[in-house]
Amino acid sequence: MKYKIFIFFIIGILLYVIDIGLNSYDEKEIYISDQEIISLVSAWKSQVGRNPTDDEIVRIINNLVEEEILYREALNLGLDQDDKIIKRRLAQKISFLKQESIVDNPSNNELLDYFNNNKDKYFVEPTFTFTHYYFSNDNDALERSNEAINQISNNLDVSSDPFFLGKNFVDVSLNSIKSDFGENFATYFNNFKINEWSGPVESAYGYHIILVINSHDGYYPDITMVLKQVEIDLLQSKRDKAVSEYLDNIKSEYKIYINPNLQI
Amino acid sequence: MKIIKKLVIAFVLIYLITLGLVYVDVYDSRPIVSLFKNFQSDSSLDIVDFSVENKKSERPKPAPNKNRNPYYGDLHVHTKYSFDAYVFGVTASPDDAYKYAKGEGIKHPLGYEMKLREPLDFYSVTDHGFYMGMIQAYADTSTEISQNDFAEPFHNINRLENLTVESAGQRSNIFSSVLGATIIQPYPDWHPKLLMAYLTRNTQLALKSFDYDIHKSAWADIARSANEHNDPGHFTTFIGYEFTTSTDIEGGNLHRNVIFNSSEASIRPWTRIDSTNPEDLWTWQDRLREKGVDTIAMPHNSNGSNGQMFEMETFKGNAISKEYADKRMRNEPIVEITQVKGTSETHPLLSPDDEWADFEIMDVRVGSRPPTYSKPSGSYVREAYLSGLTLDFTKQGNPYKFGLIGSSDTHTGAGAFDENNYWSKVGLLDGDPENRGSVPLAEENIDRLTEYMQAFNQPLSTVDLEQGTYANTGFTQWGASGLAVAWAEENTRESIFNAFRRKETFATTGTRIAVRFFGGYDLSSIDLNSDSLVSESYQKGVTMGADLMQDDDKIPEFIVWAKKDKNGAPLQRVQIVKGWIDSNSGRPKEKVFDVACSDGNEVDPVTNRCPDNGAKVNISDCSITDNVGSSELKTLWKDPEFSSLDKSFYYVRVLENPTCRWSTWDAINRGYQPREDLHETIQERAWTSPIWYIPNASDVDVIPLGGTIQLRTID
Repeated sequence: MKYKIFIFFIIGILLYVIDIGLNSYDEKEIYISDQEIISLVSAWKSQVGRNPTDDEIVRIINNLVEEEILYREALNLGLDQDDKIIKRRLAQKISFLKQESIVDNPSNNELLDYFNNNKDKYFVEPTFTFTHYYFSNDNDALERSNEAINQISNNLDVSSDPFFLGKNFVDVSLNSIKSDFGENFATYFNNFKINEWSGPVESAYGYHIILVINSHDGYYPDITMVLKQVEIDLLQSKRDKAVSEYLDNIKSEYKIYINPNLQI
Repeated sequence: MKIIKKLVIAFVLIYLITLGLVYVDVYDSRPIVSLFKNFQSDSSLDIVDFSVENKKSERPKPAPNKNRNPYYGDLHVHTKYSFDAYVFGVTASPDDAYKYAKGEGIKHPLGYEMKLREPLDFYSVTDHGFYMGMIQAYADTSTEISQNDFAEPFHNINRLENLTVESAGQRSNIFSSVLGATIIQPYPDWHPKLLMAYLTRNTQLALKSFDYDIHKSAWADIARSANEHNDPGHFTTFIGYEFTTSTDIEGGNLHRNVIFNSSEASIRPWTRIDSTNPEDLWTWQDRLREKGVDTIAMPHNSNGSNGQMFEMETFKGNAISKEYADKRMRNEPIVEITQVKGTSETHPLLSPDDEWADFEIMDVRVGSRPPTYSKPSGSYVREAYLSGLTLDFTKQGNPYKFGLIGSSDTHTGAGAFDENNYWSKVGLLDGDPENRGSVPLAEENIDRLTEYMQAFNQPLSTVDLEQGTYANTGFTQWGASGLAVAWAEENTRESIFNAFRRKETFATTGTRIAVRFFGGYDLSSIDLNSDSLVSESYQKGVTMGADLMQDDDKIPEFIVWAKKDKNGAPLQRVQIVKGWIDSNSGRPKEKVFDVACSDGNEVDPVTNRCPDNGAKVNISDCSITDNVGSSELKTLWKDPEFSSLDKSFYYVRVLENPTCRWSTWDAINRGYQPREDLHETIQERAWTSPIWYIPNASDVDVIPLGGTIQLRTID
């Protein structure tokens, strides 16, 4: 048994030696493919607008050869090691490749997946219809609004201030309430009472006594209603994420060591 | 063989004769070949409907408000399609710009995130019409046009690896020299493209560096993006572009933005290559209107126009006539009073008695290198209103009866409106505090900047001050401004566009102040504390942008109501700026009245000023005095110096308590003192469109000595 393993080992070494013998790779030999020359000549042509003369072709090839020689010598000297410019250039090269590989026309499944994963983007916000009494910060707002809520419960008339953006708000979204009254005020609508005067609720401008008359719950629309938008968003996100996804995938293959004791 | 020979000769002869006729037609104004004009088509008048497939937005549209809501927006935004923005390293697309306006964060060319504190209600991407989309095509080496010599300096300039502060010098050089004359080379006179250009009235076709297909597709993408992001009831967009024209004298900036009222627009923008004369732009707008497409043009940066924006004569130096005035007003109902490149309300030399006149003054001509002084007279809005009254006085019509908006003119797709979150506007050139001159330059950056400014043809690139060497890039005169606000029933294209037409608009320096303004003869009958204040005011009076006609000897009354930005500083005072032509002397006059003071203070009836409310700014951390200033100010005001014969205008200026200027924020955020030669604080503000008081027509003729005013029609 032992011998058999040994035989395989010897065959392996033999194969390796034969391989080296057949494909002897000499660092001092340069092969230039037809393809390379043709592509350089056509680039030259499109830049200059005519075919290069024989002299010029010689020059193009010489340049290529010299570039290759300098490149190899630089590698021999280890100049590619730890060069930030080269690192970044290569990093950018691959990120462009990844970005450009995005194909248009997503499939139905892709669209559905994207929609399901980003449902909140398409959430139709709840809306509210309400009226209010406003008490300006410039004029004892808190005191007067507390008084007002008592007056209302006793069916007395309330004397309030006119609010800049009006008294009655019909079918307005939470975002527009935020923009008209401020974040603080909008939190009232997370837990509001319907058809019941309540407050005082503080806004950026003073205090309010609010009566919510009507509200519509928010809901998630069917994908068919927002299909066009989903398609637009999906393509955009694919372009944005191409690089980061690639990076995330490949990151797991690396082990990363950083000195935890480094003092900066 | 002979027949072929004859045909060739005949063809060449016909071609030469045609060229000859075109030559005569272009260079000789006599109607020799007017018949020939019948063969011309006009590509700029082809209408395209750019509307996108119906999106069926599920979000319910809120009910319209007959008392109108204030909608905040920006009508002056550049993206990568602008020839200069692309050179500044900007790769943001119109889609990115609209996303930003809706509240998403987008990337600055230097890599950091730009995000609004609060989303905007409307937005218009207005890239330069001139060479729209071309630079991007030059940079992309896979396009055919990029293979030309003139495109070479642009190759790959905005690949990620090239987006560096260090590239600013090269970019400035491209901006100031390459973009100029060198790329605009016409084909030789015999070239068929010249004939093509003539026959379709499309001069651009005669330029070697121009590719019409690329141009059209950039414009179509801008229109597509606007229509895709338009969401009636929630977010409004306008298809738009900038008509970037100037006088023959360098830097006589006559720039205007043009926006369309619907999803339809012309197949290409009308640009300075078609004509540098704004009157031709208005003719084009008139013709589009005949075809059912309404547009408005909005002049901007009059401050950098060297007195050319609001002249007392036409572009060609003729007398202004009533026709000219009507045509201008029909097409340019509103003007951008404030933006990043300074504020154009008034200048200390023009309004020496206005303590607030020295505000964000940019005193050079737009884009001039080396920086060249811009003459104040003819460059500022308040004086223009007076000039308008003077022209009206001499019965030439009033071409300067416009409303007011602000906008940013950002070239990064994203307007910077907050003093403490500021990135200026030209991408890599001013995206960091050192380059925009608010903090001293690091040692190693001084040489780089010197080189960069030399490329920009500005010999004095740095200035030595107490704390060190600062960039002298001119960006210190720029600022975090401004917004356009429309009073509209609902947030739709139609409603907001109509507000622009009515001039029911106001401008802010980036803050979200809101202000109502009404004028009438019976406003004192309205209870200022009643909930029906606004609806009654609409009934009994006129609002900003409108005319108040004379009513015997009755004295006009005005209601002003301002509220502060909920995230901004409290209000300090409300003022009414009055301008008039003294009917006895014919002199234009102006006066600023404080009409409402914060903290319950009263206006001094002699000086017309509020007392100091004591609000201060602590420069070490930019905190402001607590509990000083008002969250709203409201008043009824009667003009104490009214004369019923004087042509007059009244507009409102609302002032916040002082806060830190962006340059101060830049400095303290990086551990420096504010730069000593800049204002440390500013007072954010808002201006309304005026209400014009119109006295009954006078039958007195104005006869100048020598009769230099030649009018075609007087009525």
